Amino acid sequence: MSVTNRRHRFRPYALSLALLCAAFYTTGRAEEQTTGQSADQQAQRLLASRCSVCHSTDLVQQQRLPRDRWEATVSKMVHWGAQLDKEEEALLTAYLANYFHPEAGPVVEWPTIPLSGEEPGSALKQAGIATRGATIYQQNCLPCHGEAGKGGMGPKLSRNPILTQADRFRETVVKGRGAMPPWGSVLQAQEIADLHAWLSTLPE
Amino acid sequence: MTDRNGLLISRRSLLAHAVGGLAFALTANRLRAATAPLETEPGAHEANSLLTRVARPLDAETPPQAFTAWLTPNDRFFVRSHFGPPAPELVAPAAWRLHLAGLVERPLSLSLDDLRRFDEVTITAVLQCSGNGRAFYRPKTPGVQWERGAVGNAQWTGVRLRDVLDRAGVRPPARHLQMGGADRPAVSDTPLFLRSIPIEKALHPDTILAYRMNGEPLPLLHGAPVRLIAPGWMADSCVKWLTDLTLQAEEAQGYYMQTAYRYPSRPVGPGDAIAQQDLKPVEAMVVNSLIAHPQQGATLSRGHVMIQGLAWTGEGRIVTVEVSTDEGRTWEAAKLVGDDVPYAWRQWQFLWRTGGPGSRTILSRATDDRGQVQPMASPWNPGGFLWNGVDQVQVQVREA
Ligand code: HEC
Ligand code: HEC
Repeated sequence: MSVTNRRHRFRPYALSLALLCAAFYTTGRAEEQTTGQSADQQAQRLLASRCSVCHSTDLVQQQRLPRDRWEATVSKMVHWGAQLDKEEEALLTAYLANYFHPEAGPVVEWPTIPLSGEEPGSALKQAGIATRGATIYQQNCLPCHGEAGKGGMGPKLSRNPILTQADRFRETVVKGRGAMPPWGSVLQAQEIADLHAWLSTLPE
Repeated sequence: MTDRNGLLISRRSLLAHAVGGLAFALTANRLRAATAPLETEPGAHEANSLLTRVARPLDAETPPQAFTAWLTPNDRFFVRSHFGPPAPELVAPAAWRLHLAGLVERPLSLSLDDLRRFDEVTITAVLQCSGNGRAFYRPKTPGVQWERGAVGNAQWTGVRLRDVLDRAGVRPPARHLQMGGADRPAVSDTPLFLRSIPIEKALHPDTILAYRMNGEPLPLLHGAPVRLIAPGWMADSCVKWLTDLTLQAEEAQGYYMQTAYRYPSRPVGPGDAIAQQDLKPVEAMVVNSLIAHPQQGATLSRGHVMIQGLAWTGEGRIVTVEVSTDEGRTWEAAKLVGDDVPYAWRQWQFLWRTGGPGSRTILSRATDDRGQVQPMASPWNPGGFLWNGVDQVQVQVREA
């Protein structure tokens, strides 16, 4: 053992940068993959939307694993309920093995990626599609608002009066409130509309 | 330790700034709400008194400054969550029940008041995550990258598990006690945290169902209202938010008993295939020590410095602690101080003459009465469990 090199430090700015990038690039939509994003961007979006359902992604970024361990870990997560199809699983595994490998050292710098042209969370123009909303809910809201919007650490959303005021709903989701994080940089207007449509179908 | 503190503060403000605080909001909330006892108002505690490893569900370690005390305060005691605490109403003392079933004469369902009618006992014991020190293994192993602080020493008050099991009447061929808690994963495909301990440990008079921690009602993050304390054993056996005890012939099935928290019974290297029968459950703690003062990175004036620390082991006693200030070439005995209490950790001191200015490494190494000695680095294992390499801090000595 090297007596002087043992300590491992996780530098704060790398983590914040990662979260920042991740937050800007998450919508949880697989279709996005065809819209010209780099593989890294797609992977970051998957990490921030699909992997954060059960735990924060700091658990992911503190690992330094060889490719076979990443394969085993991601496939275990899929087995346990992470929503990734085969293609997404391969893409994310490659990204994790590229950045968070055993030789990466204590600090991993994420590449800075320019913002996408689409303005996230902008005014709700299209009608929401309830079936899509269910998936978006599962990936982003379920850990706090519970199965079928029945409530958990966050309030019950099924039959919540706020659903009758689409604008107030959208604003609350975009800006966040109290312990509820803002979703404006994560979800796009259509996705918030989809969520609203799905939540409105829920029984008591 | 200024650099670690600095890390916490800057990470906190950067996070809050950058993402409007998903991670931050949760951490701060959880820490405040959760380290307070269930019955009292949250909020009185310093939010950044723990070093967060995973924001949600919370995994956070004790900052090394807190280790100068013999008892680790509840609000600075490390937190390990698999799925996070259950909804408070599920573990509210009025609603909570402990169910005993399986190979028993009389299945029981006990309220907290029922439980309190058994003889009360208090045991001071070290509680340590089996992944404590995982960050020091090379190559690295998957899991929470704990450094030195996933350990603490507290006074646990409750009733003997044996008394409760006697009331239910254990029937043959019961060999294992399975434990289930009220915590649930976010998605139902994720395996439950089901664990078991052999019947001998369950019937040991020092194994208790604890409802108080350092005199306060057990805080939510530490398993309110009742958790198991299996003194001398790693914390993976000390299930929190306990609701179900099942006596059975076999170990608990499922991921958290059959795959996770297992350790190879013979030496292995990275990439080696290990047969299931060669993987044994992580049970007793291994001999370990920690330097509580001076702190990593401290600058000290040349002269005499009192090095202080802690040493602990599984089911035995600490017999010696040695200190080296020359990178392990020579070792000198430290003085064991305070009381020698079974299962608790032992405090020690060493008066060090720093010598001239420069950078120094202080090492500590404990030995127990079963002849276990801390190695320089622990044998590698795929889960990164049971790290007990000699502890070390680097300091700067300056002139006057
Ligand atoms: C359905 C819930 C869920 C989802 C979604 C999920 N995880 Fe996990 N993850 C877990 C649980 C449960 C653990 C183990 C937690 C524990 O025991 O403390 C875990 C642990 C981990 C660990 C630590 C190593 C280990 O094996 O315990 C890593 C790394 C990890 N997850 C990565 C990911 C990645 C990458 C994704 C996205 C593909 C993801 N997780 C999505 C539930 C999930
Ligand atoms: C980290 C946990 C968390 C997540 C994730 C989360 N929320 Fe929330 N949410 C909360 C909390 C806590 C509140 C209550 C905030 C307050 O009033 O202080 C809340 C409030 C709300 C409200 C207002 C309810 C009311 O009664 O006014 C809406 C609407 C809402 N959330 C929707 C969502 C949607 C949609 C998602 C997913 C995109 C989501 N939340 C994800 C925690 C969360």
